[in-house]
Amino acid sequence: MTTIAAHASSPAALGQRRRPLRTRLARRTWPFLLLAPSLLMLAAFTYWPIVRVAWESLHDKPHGTRESLFVGLGNYSALFADKAFTQSVVNNLVYAAGTVPASMALALLFALALQRSTRFNAVVRALLLFPSMVPLVAAASLFFFIFLPGVGLLDHYLAKLGLRGANWLGDPDIALWSLIGITIWKNAGYYMLFYLAGLQTLPGDVLEAATIDGANGWQRLRHVIVPLLAPTTAFVLVIALINVLTQVDHVIVLTKGGPSNSTKLVLYYIFEQAHENFAAGKAAAASLLSVSFLLALSVVSLKTMERGAHAAS
Amino acid sequence: MRWLPSLAAAVAVLAPAFAGAQTKIDFFFPVPVDGKLAREMARLTKTYNDSQKEVAVTAVYTGSYDDTKLKAQAAANAGKSPAVVLMSANFVLDLKIAGDIVSLEPMLKADGTTRARFLEDFWPAVQPNAVVDGDLYAVPFQNSTPLLYYNKEHFKEAGLDPEKPPRTWAELVDAAKKLTKADRMGFGLPEGYDYMGWMMQTLTMSNGGRYFNEDYGGEVYYDTPSMLGAAQLVEDLVFKHKVMQQGVVEGGALSTNFLAGKVSMMLLSTGSLSFVRENMKQPFGVAFVPRNVRNAVPIGGGSLVMFKGLSEEQKQAGWKFAKWLSSTETLGGWSRFTGYFSPRKSPYDTAEMKEFMTRNPEAKVALDQLPHAGPWFATYQTVAVRKALEDEIQAVLNGKKKAPQAIKDAQKNADALMKPYVDLTALRLP
Repeated sequence: MTTIAAHASSPAALGQRRRPLRTRLARRTWPFLLLAPSLLMLAAFTYWPIVRVAWESLHDKPHGTRESLFVGLGNYSALFADKAFTQSVVNNLVYAAGTVPASMALALLFALALQRSTRFNAVVRALLLFPSMVPLVAAASLFFFIFLPGVGLLDHYLAKLGLRGANWLGDPDIALWSLIGITIWKNAGYYMLFYLAGLQTLPGDVLEAATIDGANGWQRLRHVIVPLLAPTTAFVLVIALINVLTQVDHVIVLTKGGPSNSTKLVLYYIFEQAHENFAAGKAAAASLLSVSFLLALSVVSLKTMERGAHAAS
Repeated sequence: MRWLPSLAAAVAVLAPAFAGAQTKIDFFFPVPVDGKLAREMARLTKTYNDSQKEVAVTAVYTGSYDDTKLKAQAAANAGKSPAVVLMSANFVLDLKIAGDIVSLEPMLKADGTTRARFLEDFWPAVQPNAVVDGDLYAVPFQNSTPLLYYNKEHFKEAGLDPEKPPRTWAELVDAAKKLTKADRMGFGLPEGYDYMGWMMQTLTMSNGGRYFNEDYGGEVYYDTPSMLGAAQLVEDLVFKHKVMQQGVVEGGALSTNFLAGKVSMMLLSTGSLSFVRENMKQPFGVAFVPRNVRNAVPIGGGSLVMFKGLSEEQKQAGWKFAKWLSSTETLGGWSRFTGYFSPRKSPYDTAEMKEFMTRNPEAKVALDQLPHAGPWFATYQTVAVRKALEDEIQAVLNGKKKAPQAIKDAQKNADALMKPYVDLTALRLP
C-alpha cells in the first residue's frame, strides 16, 4: 500500500514545481471534493453525534429542572457510584467471557470439520449458518418459547430425559447464561464462515511438510494451523467483542435486564438511563466510555492484525 | 403492521387535498398486543376525518407504550410535536415534570367548563392519574384492573367449588395448596418488570395499603406493614406453601402456563380477558382479586395527552379530536372491541353495552370490581422507583433475600431516586 502511494505521488511531486498555483490548489481540493459526499455523511451521522455525546456527558439537566448545567466530570463520578452501572459492566465482562471464546472455538471446530467441499458438508454448513441469518430480535422471540418455564421446548425434552428444567430466564444465577447460550448459538456459524475462508488460504506445502515430518493431527492443528490462522482469529475476535458491546436485542425481548439486574448489559443500561430515567448526562457518559473502548479495541486489533498478517506471510 | 403509518399518511394526504383551511395534526398511538387494535384505531381516525372538515388527523402507530413515549419526545424535540398521544397513564406525571406535555386547563376554560365538570362522568379511580398538581393534563381513554383467573376444571378435580373462587388471602392459599400437584402450580403472578410493580400495588392495596402518595410525586410507601404483608405473602407462596414457581415468571410465560393447564390460578390484567377467552380450552372463571384487609385494586391503562410545541390551531384541533375520542360513543365502542373498560361511566348505560355485558359475564366481574379501584402509582422517576421495588421482590422470589430486608432496601433506593425532587419541592423551605 505505502509503496504504491509513493510511486503514484512522485510524478505529481515533480509536476508541482512547474504548474501554477491555481492548478496546485485544484489538485489538492479535488480529492476532497470527491470525498465530500461521504465525508459529509460521516460528519453528520458519526463525528457530530460523537461530539454531541461528549458535550452532553459534561452537562446535566436533572429531571424536573429546565436548565442544562455544566457539571464537568460529575456524570462520570455519578456513573461509577451507580451500583447498576458497575453491575452492568461486570455482567458485560461475564457475557464476553462466556460468549467469545466458546463461539470462536466452536466456529473453528465447525470449519475444520467442514472444510472439504462435499455436498453433505455444504448442507451442514448452511444449517450451521442459519442461526446467524435470523435477526437477533426474531431469534430472541423464538427462544422465549424454548425457555418457557414448565411448558417450554427445553423443559419438555428435559422432562423426557427425566430431568427437571430450571427457570431459565427467571433465576438471576441462570438468566445471563441463557442469553450467553443464545449468543453462542447465533454467532458460532457466522464466525465459522471466516474460519472456512481462512482455511482455504493456508499454504498446502507447510501442512504437507508437517505431515512428512511426522506431526499427528493434533500437532498439526496446535503448531501449524492455529498459528497460521492468527490473522483470522484476530479479526473474528474483534467482531465478537464488538458484538458483545453492541447487541442487546435479546435482553430487550427476553429479560429487560432482569431479574434483579442480573442480565443488564452496558448498552441496555444506557438505554434505560436515557429513555426511562430522564438522565441524558449519565447515558452520554456511559456511551462515551463504551465508544472509547470500542475505538481503542479497533486500533489495537488493527495493529496486531497487521503484525499477524506479516508474521503469517 | 408496517403499512399502517403509510396507509394513514395516504389517508391524510388525500383527504385534505380539497379543503383549504384544514388543520393537520398527528396522533401517536401504541398497541400493547394486538394488530387488530391498530386497524380499528385507523378506522376510528378515518371516521373522524370524514365526519368534519376542519381537522385532518394522521394516526401513527408507534409500537409499545415505551416506544410511543420515545417517539413522541423525539418528534417534539425535532419541532414536529404530535398533537395527541395515547400514553401510559402513569407516565403523565413524569412527562409533566419534564415539561413535555401541556396543561389542558386553558382548553377547559375556553369550552366554558371546569375540570370537575369535565371529569364528572369518569370513574373516580381513573381521575388522579389525569391530574397533576391540581391541573388536568390527560384524558383517560382505555383502562384495566387486575383480576383473578382460575381453571374451573382443576377446581372440580381438587374438590373445590368452581363457582366459589377464593375471596380472601387465606382462601387463596388454601385453594392453591389443594390445586398444586407434581407438574402443576396452584397459583402464579406475572413478575417481569412493569407487571411486578403493578402486582405489588395490587397486593399492598388488598392489604389496606396505598403504595404511593396520590397527591405528591415524592413519596412511596414500600417500608410499611401493608407492603411487608404483601412481600411476605409472595415469599410464603413460593417457599412456605410451595404453590408458586420459584424465580421470576414473565406475564407471557404465566398466561401460556395457565392456558396449558400448568398453573391453576393467576392474577392478570382484565386486558388479557379476550386473549384468554380465545385460547383457553378448559372452562375458566374470573373473580375479584382476593383481599386480606379490603377489596382494592389499582387501575392501569392509557390516557390522551397533548405535547408542547404546537401552534394554537393545532392545539385547538388536537383538543377537538381528543374530546371526540373520549366521547361516550367512541369509548363504548372501543371498550367492546378491545376488552379494556371504558373510563367513562355513561357508555355502560347504553343498550349496546348492556347487551354486551349479558353476553360476556367475565367483563361484568371486571366492571363490578371498578368501584374498589384506585389510581395507578406514578411518582417522580416512576420507572426507576418502580424497579427499585421490583428488583428486591424478584430477589425474594429467588430466595436471595427475605421480605423484611427487601422492602427496607427498596425504600432506601426509592428515596434516593426521589431525593432531587423532594429537595426541589417538599423540602424547599423559606
